[in-house]
Amino acid sequence: MSGATPREIRGNRRRALASGEDREEYLGFVIDREFYAVSLALVREILKPPPVTEVPRSPPDVLGIVSVRGQITTVLDLRLRLGAGAAPQTLHSRVLLVQGNDEVLGLLVDEVTQVYRLAPAEIESTSSVLGNNVGSHVAGIGRPRVRGLRNEQHSSDDEVLILLDLASLLG
Amino acid sequence: MNSHGVRDEFFQEAQELIDTLAKDLLALEMATRGGSEEPELINDVFRSVHTLKGLSGLFSLDRLARLSHVLEDRLDDLRMGRLPVTPSTLDALFRAIELLGRMLASARRGGSDNDPELESLMVSLNPQAAAPAVVAVDELFELDIDPDIVRVLTEMEEHRLRTNVRNGTPMYRLRARLPIDRIDRAIDELKQRARPLGELIAYFPTGDLPADATLFELDILFASSSPFEQLQSRLESGDLSIHRIARRGHSQTVMPVASAPSVEEPSIPQKLARSEVPNVPAPLLTQRVEPMQLDSPFADQSPTGENRSLERTNGGKTPVPPKPEEERASSHSSRAVHSVRVDIRRLDHLMNVLSELAIVRGALSRMSERVRQRPELREFSGELHRLHRTFDRNLAEMQSGILEVRMVPLGQVFDRLARGVRQVARQHNKEIRLVVTGADTEVDKLIVEELSDPLLHIVRNSIDHGIETQPDRLAYGKPVEGTIALNAFQAGNHVIIEIEDDGAGIDPERVIATAVRRGLIGASEAEAYSTQDAINLLFLPGFSTRTEVTDLSGRGVGLDVVKTNIGRLGGVVDVQSERGIGTKFTITLPISLAILRALLIGVAGRTYALPLSSVAEATLLDPRALRTVEGREVVSLRGETLPICRLDRLFGHAEVNDGSRHASRHFVVVIALGGRRIGMVVSELFGQQDIVIKALGPSLAGVRGFAGATDLGDQRVGLVIDAAALLDELLSANERRGLEGGRVGRYTA
Repeated sequence: MSGATPREIRGNRRRALASGEDREEYLGFVIDREFYAVSLALVREILKPPPVTEVPRSPPDVLGIVSVRGQITTVLDLRLRLGAGAAPQTLHSRVLLVQGNDEVLGLLVDEVTQVYRLAPAEIESTSSVLGNNVGSHVAGIGRPRVRGLRNEQHSSDDEVLILLDLASLLG
Repeated sequence: MNSHGVRDEFFQEAQELIDTLAKDLLALEMATRGGSEEPELINDVFRSVHTLKGLSGLFSLDRLARLSHVLEDRLDDLRMGRLPVTPSTLDALFRAIELLGRMLASARRGGSDNDPELESLMVSLNPQAAAPAVVAVDELFELDIDPDIVRVLTEMEEHRLRTNVRNGTPMYRLRARLPIDRIDRAIDELKQRARPLGELIAYFPTGDLPADATLFELDILFASSSPFEQLQSRLESGDLSIHRIARRGHSQTVMPVASAPSVEEPSIPQKLARSEVPNVPAPLLTQRVEPMQLDSPFADQSPTGENRSLERTNGGKTPVPPKPEEERASSHSSRAVHSVRVDIRRLDHLMNVLSELAIVRGALSRMSERVRQRPELREFSGELHRLHRTFDRNLAEMQSGILEVRMVPLGQVFDRLARGVRQVARQHNKEIRLVVTGADTEVDKLIVEELSDPLLHIVRNSIDHGIETQPDRLAYGKPVEGTIALNAFQAGNHVIIEIEDDGAGIDPERVIATAVRRGLIGASEAEAYSTQDAINLLFLPGFSTRTEVTDLSGRGVGLDVVKTNIGRLGGVVDVQSERGIGTKFTITLPISLAILRALLIGVAGRTYALPLSSVAEATLLDPRALRTVEGREVVSLRGETLPICRLDRLFGHAEVNDGSRHASRHFVVVIALGGRRIGMVVSELFGQQDIVIKALGPSLAGVRGFAGATDLGDQRVGLVIDAAALLDELLSANERRGLEGGRVGRYTA
């Protein structure tokens, strides 16, 4: 204990802060300049967009299929799924491999930001913020008070995360 | 002195064994909590106990030996998977180990190895008390079901049955009498009713003729943990009776111990009796609700006619002579050597690996070619070429080896079919001779499993609607006995199954009239219909789903389902019929679903794979040969008119115009399946490749026209075109519904 380096102490403090009761981890990402997050437990992997094979006659928000270690995986364009317009991929575009309802799916997002650990107090219910006219795929609004693990420039005040309910979004 | 030393050694070794046992049990408990199974660990524990038993016997510590013996039996159950590893089982084992330690310590001090806890523990080690799920080596044969029934179960059914037996779910036999004219619906309704209560595992025609000839008698294997009374009140009716299927065997091995403890436990050869002579009955100690098995259809109708029923083999006593312990143990291992049951997914995995190797082979071939171009590398070139050849040959051998492992004879399905034929024939008071040829034709296991239902459908149709009544047959000068010929053979990469009857044949006019009445086709359209067109109408959904199926003299009961099921397997169904002579259904199936040779084609810059088995030829499209017939494009190819389909339009790809002089060059790939042909217009032919088809995810289940996808190498994925589905979609002149864009579905063969 006594021999802990400053770095370890900082790490411990951060963990102690963050590991407060019932915090849940979310992975934040950007779609059409809005900030979203999904439960980190459902995210298997983050990929740079692999070459996608389009599937004729598939629903419009299906970007196509890719092979992830031999497994054929469907990739959805989350922009289209969320009703934002299509946009060309950029250097920041990523594909999240998530556990969908009965398969692993790829979700194309504009950019991945960071992992958030949110306490229940940092999650507002959707209806109190946006009224009742919100899609059921929004599980809540996250307002992280602690800075994220990557110390970015946003102050906690302007961070608003739309927490997505994947089961309902992908259902 | 010396004997003292030996005795000390014994106690030491015994103590060590007990310590090891305790340690291994703990590890087992940890593993079990973590949700993993540890067969090796159980095996270790088993062996330790076995040794302990031997040692105890050697030193006349009878009670120690007896406890070890019972313990060994339970551990054997655990290791053979007859008993689940549950917390309560583990508790009992821990108590037993503790007790062993106490008894050993007591004996070491010179006391008796008796312990007050011994008798109660012996009782709790009795499997009846330890766990409800007592399942034998081949647990299925422990159910009071005709082994022949078990043998004809599809793998899925068997698996479900096994799982339920393993979970200790009580099994029931539902005997249902359903109206034959709406049998499909009746079964559906029954499913609806039964599903909330349990699981329907398999259906079998009983072959018994109910007094009412409009009824069809089915036996259903049903697993349910609902109380029997509830099943009775929810399901039982005049047309459905419920019988509990007793579970025989197992408990007998330990009951004697519990009730009449003795050191020389009669070594009842339970395992041998069960696994080698599965139909030898054992005393039924499990509680049985009804003594149903004596008249059980599961017991008395093997397809071979052999009578394997319980009463014939003398219910009650076990007639097999006891065998010594060691022999019993060794026979387990020696039997295991000869065959292995493999999960088909493991084979799929091997196929995946093979397909990677196939990609390597391609690269090797290209490299070999490049090296050959370089004169200075001539020496290497020859060597590389030889290596490549060897690799190629071995790979091909390995591929066919794995495919062979997956192959099973069609006879499995045919046996089942024979029962159906017998029942339906008696139902209709028709005499049917079933002639089976080619039962040893082999197909992929997965295909066989899916074949059972469609074949039964077709055969039922043949008897129901094809074969005439006896007076009619006499009047036509046909033999009274109708014949259904079931013929299977291999043709190249396909297996053909023909179901031919010598009945009345299909009356195209009645079929057309019915289709018009049902609104499937317009009356004016109908006039242009050929006989073959009319026959194809039978496969339309909606042709037979109405309730008045029986007033059809033609066929049509659920043939659309048959077609869909066969189509899913990459096969096609064809019908030929001649009035008064008979009808022949021909099912063409690929031999294997696992790997296939495909033609890689380019469509508007995308690469698709087309199973070569469906490709008749591929040629350059001669624009001068293009014609339009009623607004549809056709091409004449060697004097034959072929409807064509431009894949880029069908798939909604914008035409890629790269400005090259070949921009307008196209190829026609002629797809031919079951006598129907269509030309697919593509822009590139890339050559052939062996591919492994992988399924598309559930989210793409609604997308039609693709059988799956395949790795093309370099991280690229190509879609595999489902030729049968596309052909169908494009050629069914009569399909009116569900086609997007109206661009497809207008071609006539």
